[in-house]
Amino acid sequence: MTVAAERPFTDSQEFVLEVDSVATRFGTAVIHDGVSFNVARGDVVALIGGSGSGKSVLLKEIIGLLQPSAGSIRLLGMDVWRGSLDEINALRRRFGMLFQDGALFSSLTVAENVAVPFREHTDLPVELILPLVGFKLSLVGLSPDVGGKMPAELSGGMRKRVALARALALEPEILFLDEPTSGLDPISARAFDQLVRVLSEGLGLTVFIVTHDLDTLLSIIDRVIVLADGKVIANDTVNKVMKLDNPWIRDYFQTRALAARKEGSDGT
Amino acid sequence: MNTTPKWIEPDTDEGANVLRLTGVWRLSNLAAISGALQSVAPGGENPYVLDGSGLQELDTAAGFILCRRLAPPGGGNLELTLRGFDPRHERLLALVRDRMDCPAAVSKPVHGGVLHRIGTATVALWKMLQSHVGFVGTVALELLTLMRRPRLFRFKETMAQFETICLDAIPIAGLVTFLIGVVIAYLLGIQALQYGANVFVVDGVGLAMCRELSPLLVAVVVAGRSGAAFTAQIGTMKVQQEIDAISTLGLSPVQVLVIPRLVAIIIALPLLVFVGYIAGILGGMLICAVQLDITPLTFLDRMHSVLPTSAPVVGLVKAPVFAAFIAIIACRMGMLVARDARSVGLNTTSTVVQSIVWVILLDAVFAIIFQHLDI
Repeated sequence: MTVAAERPFTDSQEFVLEVDSVATRFGTAVIHDGVSFNVARGDVVALIGGSGSGKSVLLKEIIGLLQPSAGSIRLLGMDVWRGSLDEINALRRRFGMLFQDGALFSSLTVAENVAVPFREHTDLPVELILPLVGFKLSLVGLSPDVGGKMPAELSGGMRKRVALARALALEPEILFLDEPTSGLDPISARAFDQLVRVLSEGLGLTVFIVTHDLDTLLSIIDRVIVLADGKVIANDTVNKVMKLDNPWIRDYFQTRALAARKEGSDGT
Repeated sequence: MNTTPKWIEPDTDEGANVLRLTGVWRLSNLAAISGALQSVAPGGENPYVLDGSGLQELDTAAGFILCRRLAPPGGGNLELTLRGFDPRHERLLALVRDRMDCPAAVSKPVHGGVLHRIGTATVALWKMLQSHVGFVGTVALELLTLMRRPRLFRFKETMAQFETICLDAIPIAGLVTFLIGVVIAYLLGIQALQYGANVFVVDGVGLAMCRELSPLLVAVVVAGRSGAAFTAQIGTMKVQQEIDAISTLGLSPVQVLVIPRLVAIIIALPLLVFVGYIAGILGGMLICAVQLDITPLTFLDRMHSVLPTSAPVVGLVKAPVFAAFIAIIACRMGMLVARDARSVGLNTTSTVVQSIVWVILLDAVFAIIFQHLDI
């Protein structure tokens, strides 16, 4: 798959996410040492880096679960770590988060899981909530009769889709995804990628994906941010980043070429 | 302007049915929008033309209920002509129409009637009892294996468990039995004072603490502390597939997890019961000194001459039996945990309840046995 063509509505340079000189220290260990980048509305952005480079920690800081030691993070125009609890909770209704294994509530059915944001944050009557839940499940490619199942009865791919439906319940402006394709077979992984892309284009969503998956990068991502040694070492379109002269980046994008070369020498 | 938005206004324009959409069509206004849509008839032979020039915002929830309302009832494609829409909103509506053919979500898993549920529960209970007996058998076989090959015994793990079960429980077991000693002495004292038979309170406290109260209460405390802990630990390991990992490495989960806990608690409970004796007797001694004019020295002297050896021995005989039951129930419930967090909670609760019930049941059985044996 080729890299996605220029997006139709990233003409405005409104930044929905501004990370400015974020530093994170746990005791003497320095995880981030001045991380800065911006994400424009409508972009589909990926954050990559080696294992242990602090990607998941950064994601937690952006969504307000872990406080950075220094620096600021502005999400949808609001400083995440300087607002009151009410302001932060109001902000949380404007973005959706997909955790790595879905993080569905294990004692609720699928439909009840997706209905949680509606029940907790809106006054909608039940007659409106159930059809909406069915629609959200359908939006992520699941049949609405999955609604009566418990999360433990679902496969990993289905769990992630349900979690995506829940993340999209309140019509968020940004969607955060933490390694969405990990543990999925290649077909499901590509299908999930396409789903994210279709939803992003159809709904005008900004998408921020923390990922290891090279195929995701090469198929649906507009810009990629590379985190290494506690700093951002690249922040550009995938094509441009692939050509950078950095050993880690070269190795990362070479893995595909290595596999292809090995196959070629075995096959012929 | 402070007028309430009209949301959707029908209009005719060159013979076509036009619906003019205005306002902020978002989730937050969904109830109002849904109300306004009630006055719009679903499309049929004359497909609607939607005019979106007055539309300020549109999201999928609002788009969905619009399309759902306009769709011809009984299925069939939704024919819509859009005009004057922002390209974003057009794209969004296209996505909604693409995905909207869905019945409302099924929410609850279907429950059977009362009789059905009683039947299912009875069968499940019977099967569970059978598998419990199977588990006891497995543990017994593993103990035999251990006796033939003592090198399999996990000494360090057993000692670690012993520290948690016994040493960490001494304060709470001591406290509980101390307080019960106080209460028993106080109650007996009230009665004894009426007959001037103060000194018999000593006999009462000694017998009650040693034969019944200390074993029972300490067993309940240990069931709550350690029984629940075993179930939670083993249950969480089950959820995280650690038990599968143990089996796959060629080890027996019973040897690795259950036997250390079983051995540790069988050694620990009698020791804790003994601590209970001392604490309980001290509690009684306190009340006797304060309320009944029996000095500690008198108390101890009488206790020494009056307390039959059988009393503490009976308690120390009951303790290992209670311990074995608690351990087996707790480990079994841990192994039975299903894949989610709720199951860990349910099984931990069940362990504590079952353990307490069994301890009391066994206590009654012992009472009958000892009575027949004249002990």
